[in-house]
Amino acid sequence: MHKLARGSRDKVQQFMTITGASEKVALQALKASDWHLEGAFDFFYNHPQISVTNTRHLEELYNRYKEPDVDMIMVEGVSQFCTDLQVDPQDIVMLVISWHMKAATMCEFTRQEFIGGLQSIGVDSIEKLHEKLPSLRAEIKDDHKFREIYNFAFAWAREKGQKSLSLETALGMWQLLFAERHWPLIDHWCEFLQVRHNKAISRDTWSQLLEFVKTIDPQLSNYDEEGAWPYLIDEFVEYLTENGFVQIRK
Amino acid sequence: MAGQERRTIDLEEGWAFMQKGITKLKNILEGKPEPQFSSEDYMMLYTTIYNMCTQKPPHDYSQQLYDKYRESFEEYITSMVLPSLRDKHDEFMLRELVKRWSNHKIMVRWLSRFFFYLDRYFISRRSLIPLEKVGLTCFGDLIYQEIKGQVKGAVIALIDKEREGEQIDRALLKNVLGIFVEIGLGSMECYENDFEEFLLKDTTDYYSLKAQSWILEDSCPDYMIKAEECLKKEKERVGHYLHISSEQKLLEKVQNELLAQYATPLLEKEHSGCFALLRDDKEEDLSRMYRLFSKINRGLEPIANMFKTHVTNEGTALVKQAEDSASNKKPEKKDMVGMQEQVFVWKIIELHDKYVAYVTECFQGHTLFHKALKEAFEVFCNKGVSGSSSAELLATFCDNILKKGCSEKLSDEAIEDALEKVVRLLAYISDKDLFAEFYRKKLARRLLFDKSANDEHERSILTKLKQQCGGQFTSKMEGMVTDLTVARDHQTKFEEFVAAHQELNPGIDLAVTVLTTGFWPSYKTFDINLPAEMVKCVEVFKEFYQTRTKHRKLTWIYSLGTCNINAKFEAKTIELIVTTYQAALLLLFNGSDRLSYSEIVTQLNLSDDDVVRLLHSLSCAKYKILNKEPANRSISPNDVFEFNSKFTDRMRRIKIPLPPVDEKKKVVEDVDKDRRYAIDASIVRIMKSRKVMGHQQLVAECVEQLSRMFKPDFKAIKKRIEDLITRDYLEREKDNANVYRYLA
Repeated sequence: MHKLARGSRDKVQQFMTITGASEKVALQALKASDWHLEGAFDFFYNHPQISVTNTRHLEELYNRYKEPDVDMIMVEGVSQFCTDLQVDPQDIVMLVISWHMKAATMCEFTRQEFIGGLQSIGVDSIEKLHEKLPSLRAEIKDDHKFREIYNFAFAWAREKGQKSLSLETALGMWQLLFAERHWPLIDHWCEFLQVRHNKAISRDTWSQLLEFVKTIDPQLSNYDEEGAWPYLIDEFVEYLTENGFVQIRK
Repeated sequence: MAGQERRTIDLEEGWAFMQKGITKLKNILEGKPEPQFSSEDYMMLYTTIYNMCTQKPPHDYSQQLYDKYRESFEEYITSMVLPSLRDKHDEFMLRELVKRWSNHKIMVRWLSRFFFYLDRYFISRRSLIPLEKVGLTCFGDLIYQEIKGQVKGAVIALIDKEREGEQIDRALLKNVLGIFVEIGLGSMECYENDFEEFLLKDTTDYYSLKAQSWILEDSCPDYMIKAEECLKKEKERVGHYLHISSEQKLLEKVQNELLAQYATPLLEKEHSGCFALLRDDKEEDLSRMYRLFSKINRGLEPIANMFKTHVTNEGTALVKQAEDSASNKKPEKKDMVGMQEQVFVWKIIELHDKYVAYVTECFQGHTLFHKALKEAFEVFCNKGVSGSSSAELLATFCDNILKKGCSEKLSDEAIEDALEKVVRLLAYISDKDLFAEFYRKKLARRLLFDKSANDEHERSILTKLKQQCGGQFTSKMEGMVTDLTVARDHQTKFEEFVAAHQELNPGIDLAVTVLTTGFWPSYKTFDINLPAEMVKCVEVFKEFYQTRTKHRKLTWIYSLGTCNINAKFEAKTIELIVTTYQAALLLLFNGSDRLSYSEIVTQLNLSDDDVVRLLHSLSCAKYKILNKEPANRSISPNDVFEFNSKFTDRMRRIKIPLPPVDEKKKVVEDVDKDRRYAIDASIVRIMKSRKVMGHQQLVAECVEQLSRMFKPDFKAIKKRIEDLITRDYLEREKDNANVYRYLA
């Protein structure tokens, strides 16, 4: 504190009085906003976690999981992470955590993704994260967040360098996602894809399917075949009616 | 100066004088013996009025005279005219009326002249009704108003009589109706309200009754003849005695009662309606039908619809017929487009000729019928016969006509005519691109194997196609024809080249046709191992070609080549006309007498499919140049072959055919691929100019753009849109998935 100029010191004091934050947090916020008080408040309220996470703890945690020779957490690190958390790697909560980390690829976290992600969740230890699991799980129930997680999942789950998602992975992801949000046609959809399509899934089909699930009722009464639904979804509707799984009543 | 000395005339005196003149006039009108007015009489009467009007007040009697003028008419009408009209009826009453009216007009003329001075100053200064009009109005108010109902009734009764065929006094009617017009003094109100309205009502009732019985008793053609006759008569009626303004209204009523009201039962009459007329080719009746119903609002629509249905049924029957005869064919010939199909196309052409004539003659080229014909042909022209699309049938039809040795012996004019008609049929085919592809395949065969009968016809059909489908459609075909012309020139140059460089002469006559890659259908190239003699030929040509052009790459398509080779059999030497592949295979037997299947495959370096086909043509077909062990009719990998030196034939030169591979599937695939590009290009073009667009609109515009070449189906377009989204040309609008945005 003594190193600071008088004006800056005042600002730190002011910041602490108003926000009730610690001196360290005040310094961090003010530095981040180039010593503008207004900016510092914005920063503080937009990053509530800075107050509670400890960067040093996060670094340690990262180092615990990272590959010895690469600056990254790879498959082994991720599975250790799951074990520590007492969570099955197939659990959907891992998808939610990855979403918070903005992870580019499944089963991989870069340093930035890992630390940034935990900061945004607002935890700096495995125990704290474990405590958070129920609330993370609950985020799936939120419509808006579910859409983000759903669309995030496409890029996250596909193979590196591929434009589309392999059918097998897509089916797995759908089963996982729609287990949380009940969609009565999910089994027909998966079966249809295996019997009639058997090819990778494009991003458009992936994201439009969620729209289909959300807007079209399971009796398909408000489905419009003239609409812009992807080809595959049109075919699916045809498949449903052909096989008598659904009788369209308009 | 005389005026100053003038004696003042008082009203009684002056009027007594006038009264005398008026009585004289009345007597004349009533036909009583009375001398005519002399000019002196007239001048005296006029002067009296003049004097009475120009005296100083209070002796100016203008107003009194003006009133007296009117009273004179009224008095005459009530005392003389009305009684004489009242005791007459019907036609006699009409005659009396006409007479009285003409008398009245005379009376008005004379009286208004006597009183003329009033008109000049008194009336014009006070803006009163002029004398002549006062006179005519008296007639209107006192007579016309009283008897107009009777008159109208009598006139209409006469008209009805005439409608029933009786003779009537048309001149009388013309005069009576003239009164209705004249009494209006320039307005048609009296004629329209007091007569025409009732006539129209009567006409409606009259024809409504007629139509009710005719529709039950008469056949459709008879009914139409009657209707046309009635319309003609009514039109004449207007000419004879009605006012011209009634024509349209009157005819409309008749048309409405006779035609519009009964259109459906009339056109749909079981054994004589529109369908029956079409079926029995009753062109005259159909023309009449068109004439009658073209005057009726939306009257032609049902006829056009029936026409469309009829033509569709006829065409569909032809398709069915062709389908049946195709299914009776021998199964092994099923895939070949044979004579039946040729006959089928001829029949379609005939059908088209017939109904085009109907449209232009019976239906006077009305757009509704052009449209109906087009829609009908589109229905069955796109059906195809037993697995062959109509695009293929038409292309084959053209091929059959254009190639040498055409089975139908047609004159040049007949060929031109047939080509013209096929091209016209093409307008109804939605898969024009498929036609183009098939046509190109067949054209390639005609050109390369010298099967084209006449260059003129080849060029002429291309011109026709160009006119109909645009330059893009025929550019490749034209390129192909041009290639051949250039190639002929090349060949002469090549022969000169070989003559000049004797050291290079391969010892074999060689003709090479150089083609431009893009124009021609794509052919597979194989690295076949050519016999040394042929390799030498190829080298010489390459040498020659390099002297002519630089930077051009030659790709050799041996599968399209032919060879004439001399085969020395024991009995005699026979010239064999074979394909280059067949020749290469046969020449292997110069080196060894027996070869196994696998040896042949390795030495030729060709695919199994090709080798089997070649061997089959040489050992299992009509001419057995090779002996096969075991001797059966199919080729298997364990067979062994041997040159059949015992072979002979009565001909000195024989052609050993190699059945062509069925290319239909490939053509369809190629077209499908081209369509994907075409759809992509169209979508990108549209989106590039619109930037943001709704799904349905985009699809509609895309179909519109492409319909000149083919009818893309919605699914295909959807797939291409999705593909373009994946390739980041388009994206969906964030909050409306039905809207696309162009990314550039």
